[in-house]
Amino acid sequence: MELQLGLALPPPPLIPIETFDLNSYGNYETREALGTNALSWPLLKLGPADNDINNIHHHNSSSSSSSSGGGAGCKKRSFDEAPFFDEKRNVPKTLHLLLWTNQPNDEDDDPSNVLHENSSSAIFKNDGEGLVGWPPVKTWRKKVHHQIPNGGTENNRLPAVENGIGGRASKSTYVKVKMEGVPIARKIDLSVHHSFEGLTNTLMRMFGISDGNRKSFKLTYQDREGDWLLAEDVPWRTFIRSLKCLKLIRSRG
Amino acid sequence: MQKEMAYSFPDEVLKHVFSFIQSDKDRNAVSLVCKSWYEIERWCRRKVFIGNCYAVSPRMVIRRFPEVRSIELKGKPHFADFNLVPDGWGGYVLQWIAEMAGAYPWLGEIRLKRMVVTDESLELIAKSFKNFKVLVLFSCEGFSTDGLAAIAASCKNLRELDLRESEVDDLSGHWLAQFPETCTSLVSLNISCLGSDEVSFSALERLVDRCPNLRSLQLNRAVTLDKIANILRRAPQLVDFGTGNYAAELQPDVFSNLAGAFSSCKELKSLSGFWDVVPAYLPALYSICPRLTSLNLSYATIQSPDLIKLVSHCPRLQRLLVLDYVEDSGLEELASSCKDLQELRVFPSDPFGVEPNVSLTEQGLVAVSLGCPKLQSVLYFCRRMSNAALVTIAQNCPNLTRFRLCIIEPKTPDYLTLDPLDAGFGAIVEHCKDLRRLSLSGLLTDHVFEYIGTYGKKLEMLSVAFAGDSDLGLHHVLSGCESLRKLEIRDCPFGDKALLANAAKLETMRSLWMSSCAMSFGACKLLGQKMPKLNVEVIDETEPPDSRPESYPVDKLYIYRSVAGPRFDMPPFLWSMDEAVKILH
Repeated sequence: MELQLGLALPPPPLIPIETFDLNSYGNYETREALGTNALSWPLLKLGPADNDINNIHHHNSSSSSSSSGGGAGCKKRSFDEAPFFDEKRNVPKTLHLLLWTNQPNDEDDDPSNVLHENSSSAIFKNDGEGLVGWPPVKTWRKKVHHQIPNGGTENNRLPAVENGIGGRASKSTYVKVKMEGVPIARKIDLSVHHSFEGLTNTLMRMFGISDGNRKSFKLTYQDREGDWLLAEDVPWRTFIRSLKCLKLIRSRG
Repeated sequence: MQKEMAYSFPDEVLKHVFSFIQSDKDRNAVSLVCKSWYEIERWCRRKVFIGNCYAVSPRMVIRRFPEVRSIELKGKPHFADFNLVPDGWGGYVLQWIAEMAGAYPWLGEIRLKRMVVTDESLELIAKSFKNFKVLVLFSCEGFSTDGLAAIAASCKNLRELDLRESEVDDLSGHWLAQFPETCTSLVSLNISCLGSDEVSFSALERLVDRCPNLRSLQLNRAVTLDKIANILRRAPQLVDFGTGNYAAELQPDVFSNLAGAFSSCKELKSLSGFWDVVPAYLPALYSICPRLTSLNLSYATIQSPDLIKLVSHCPRLQRLLVLDYVEDSGLEELASSCKDLQELRVFPSDPFGVEPNVSLTEQGLVAVSLGCPKLQSVLYFCRRMSNAALVTIAQNCPNLTRFRLCIIEPKTPDYLTLDPLDAGFGAIVEHCKDLRRLSLSGLLTDHVFEYIGTYGKKLEMLSVAFAGDSDLGLHHVLSGCESLRKLEIRDCPFGDKALLANAAKLETMRSLWMSSCAMSFGACKLLGQKMPKLNVEVIDETEPPDSRPESYPVDKLYIYRSVAGPRFDMPPFLWSMDEAVKILH
């Protein structure tokens, strides 16, 4: 049941366009644009503002080429992208925000495999273990599942810890964080932190507290018994295992 | 001659005619006929639905529609349900309440979904609207039982209080006692989301006692099985009932009391709740099962044999929500017993387990598709699927309007052929011509989007995860799906090209969410600058997007059309790409 794309239109001359440097995406393979079935669909026309676009593009491409694509990191998506546009081309009078050109994939490579290999680490690492928000089950339902007595044979799969910390991070390692004086609580993923230092750093950033003001805040937490304790008073492991939620308070004196 | 006809109807007549037009779409059409119709219509519009609270400002709504009695607002993007939207993103209702308090003294109904509602907002509602009747807080958060107490105490004619799936801060269970003795108007009460200490049962009993019009009642988990009979005997007129806890040691007198109470509810058509079920108590429901049209067992941890027994007593069932404990065998029974079934949702009992814990496969869904010709809406979590099964389902159920399939492991291929599932989903969109909502999963290439773009002409909402090979996929959807309103994408290799080439399309949609894709910061900026009617927002919780090269992909992107301009209430991790707004803040 294969559909025929490519709709048999003779390709009009490719209108050149300046655009971003699609090359500096991190570690991915550049591909030669193949085939002659290029189709142009000018879908967004902008009139006299051509020059502005030109300038913006110049600026963009120069700045992105000067800062070399950056080191490899989990955040980067290593996707295969064909470099369609040559940076040095002229811009047409009727400017398209972007021209769509249909470039079929290289038939020799198996696109899905390559993609899977390159991106699977990016997807599944995700700054920790497991995927956020997958499978797409509401937090509401996740709570229920944690308390289901497992009727099947594999009885010990459920985590013992109330917050589901430990094991795969997708078992909701998020806890609520409140800051004194701020009505809205935030949520923080504890699985990516391994020390009070790291946790505090993230919290300071989250609530926009500058380094200078850091000293005037103390981190407290509520344990499973409902008591509020100072985080720094206990070892990290005890803290992680017994905490229910966090609160940043202003330290007095 | 024609001119005379146009002026021959006085405004009052037109107003009266318009009062029969309830749907928003029709009202919008009416308002476009001519200026005088626009004017008349806007003065008599009583109900406003705002699908995105940031698409328009309260002031604009009030200016155009001065006599609104009922408002519905939606806040966070749908993916907020799955923790993809950081806390503190927005969707605050306070501003809306504050403005409406002055402008709409007769406002009677407020329905909110995925919004942040504070106690202050609730207190303001209680104080400002003398004729307040309906409060629905669907998947909301930010308030406590104090706010509820204010509502209960002040709203003398409250008809509906529905807190479904909201997060409420537990402070005290006594808020229910705040309903004055004179309050007898309740028709619907849903407190199923409340925790243990948040409900005083005796107050609840008294409330139910004095509200003869109560039709819909959903209790919370803290209410034990033995209390159900008390409630039901006080409200035999109930149409829709949600139990609390449905577990207790089997005692004959408790059982017969319960069974008797249920059988006295001659109008009962819909059941939900069922936390912690003890199967031995299920037969207490048998007397009402023949009338049941809707059954929500999605929290019930009962195994297939008990589910089969129950379901076989419900021939009129139209809607079933259930855990995958139902298994293929249970669904086969469903297919043979419930020929009126229109909606099926099967949730995973162990979503994070790697191995299947139950015998639920694509076969169950195929069986239902075969046996239930009226099937329209499907939400199905499973661990394997085949193109053949999907093609069969598509052919059996051409009337599907909603099809959401979640194969739990991302990028799972057809388990029989190891092919991508393009052809299967292609069959769904091809055969189901009225399909409005679709969620994809499994191994999918750009081809599936080709099919969707070609056949999905009525598709309004599409959810995509871990699919596609290139921008071509996104391009197919944006250029082909004429009715598309909401598109949400995560972890797909879609970049700048398709989005920029279809920028104009975004103005015809409500919103687009893309996270963990390949949109560059530079392209986002371009889009924001060139499309003033769109709000282009980049979300990044780790560092500002302009601290990295412009070609660097953004973490999360939310684009929506708006006449209100950029937001005033942006959190620190959200950057507007609007030209007028400073990027760094």
